[in-house]
Amino acid sequence: MHAAIKTSSLELGYRNDAETVSVLGGVNLTVAAGEFLSIIGPSGCGKSTLLRVVADLLDPLSGDIQILGKSPSAARREREVGFVFQDPTLLPWRTVKANIELPCAIGGRRTADAPRGRSAELSKMLGIDDLGNRYPRQLSGGQRQRVAIARALLTEPKLLLMDEPFGALDEITRDRLNDELLRIWRRTGTTVLFITHSIMEAVYLGQRVMVLGSRPGRVLSIKDLRDAKTPDNRCRREDPAIISAMTEMRSMLEVA
Amino acid sequence: MLSARIPNALRILLPFLGAASIILAWQFLLPLAGVPPYIAPTPTRIASAFANQWPLLLDNLWPTMAESLAGFLFGNLAAVILAVAFVYSRTLNSAYFPVVLFFNTIPILALSPIIILIFGLGMLPKIVIASVICFFPTLVNMVRGLNSAAASEHELFRVLSATPWETFWRLRLPRSMPMLFSSLRIASATAVIGAIVGEWIGSDKGLGALIIQATFNYQTERLYAAIVLSSSMAIILFLMVVFVERRVAAWSYEHP
Repeated sequence: MHAAIKTSSLELGYRNDAETVSVLGGVNLTVAAGEFLSIIGPSGCGKSTLLRVVADLLDPLSGDIQILGKSPSAARREREVGFVFQDPTLLPWRTVKANIELPCAIGGRRTADAPRGRSAELSKMLGIDDLGNRYPRQLSGGQRQRVAIARALLTEPKLLLMDEPFGALDEITRDRLNDELLRIWRRTGTTVLFITHSIMEAVYLGQRVMVLGSRPGRVLSIKDLRDAKTPDNRCRREDPAIISAMTEMRSMLEVA
Repeated sequence: MLSARIPNALRILLPFLGAASIILAWQFLLPLAGVPPYIAPTPTRIASAFANQWPLLLDNLWPTMAESLAGFLFGNLAAVILAVAFVYSRTLNSAYFPVVLFFNTIPILALSPIIILIFGLGMLPKIVIASVICFFPTLVNMVRGLNSAAASEHELFRVLSATPWETFWRLRLPRSMPMLFSSLRIASATAVIGAIVGEWIGSDKGLGALIIQATFNYQTERLYAAIVLSSSMAIILFLMVVFVERRVAAWSYEHP
């Protein structure tokens, strides 16, 4: 079985006519299928750039990356990858149901990929099944992000990429969505890469946490938390092992 | 301090009361001020001109209405098609957009005699003038509208492996609707202006020709009746645009 993600000496950044800007270098990362990996780091450390390279929205500057044993572009074309942006990015002219089913409306011949009734099932799983006929502007921030998650899961991706999806939400909604995300992850067995600014969120969600530093962007540490959690990735936020992991990460980020 | 809230019923009624007060003042105060009827006939005299000269007015209404409608349709259609070409071809855009902006600075009154020279005295030159006057604002707005989708929306479509065709129909085109309709609303009035300007310069039929003739013959009631008729026509065209907009781009209104 292929690893969900495998990179070696991956370097990322932006290239335009005038110059090449390296954002994050030396990424040697292997994410097992079904793993939940959090990524945390200060602004400008390249965590969003990393997610964009995995999603084939951006080419790496150098190094090697494989998604499920394929190139990022093959994985994207085969719809193995789902993406949840910080901004829910719902199309305001489509109802909630039509937004969730957007992946069926595009991608031409792949339309048949999403099984029938899948959108109803996902709506139910995310507690938005009574909102199907509403428009995005009629929803709260939390509801919008639930719709975005349902849409990303419609194609049953083996890899779910989340770029600070709950960053704009209040803490109560965020905690609730964290638990729901873990529930969905357990149920679907999908691999999750989850970017966040919150140390608490990174530690609570991730089986492992990748800590990035900036200037220059680099991997500071990949912290394994599986010993501090149950096998199905449950923990209490006030558990001493969790707290000490958070403290360690905080000091790591302060120095960086 | 917020100003006192106006009850709903009154808010609908007030514009009518405002218009009525001006018509009443016109009817009774203007004669008192000694303004002669050949300068400003009272509303009742204009109304009786409508009753007496209805066949004549109607005879001149049809050509103007046909020219305005045809100009509105052709001008906007051409603008939308060219906007799509500009958005998809950088070369075309760089080569011709500045030229288009230059043409836009030529006053329509200066351009009209040339158009009459080219197309003669029939209905065609009026349609062309009405088209030209609608064309530029719609072109500029449509280009902006087609480019108004957010970067994250384009990324979403890329993650879903949308074809360029799908990105156009499902993202760029719906996104452009609010800007397209804001220029169509303006064009509904300017198309009528274009047709009338064309008739001024060379025609013996239509409301524009009627306005010129009535002015020279001191047929003031007829002049005012023709003005009321042309503005009513623009209002009806405007309402038709709003009617379609409510169906096509209802999502862009703030309130559900």
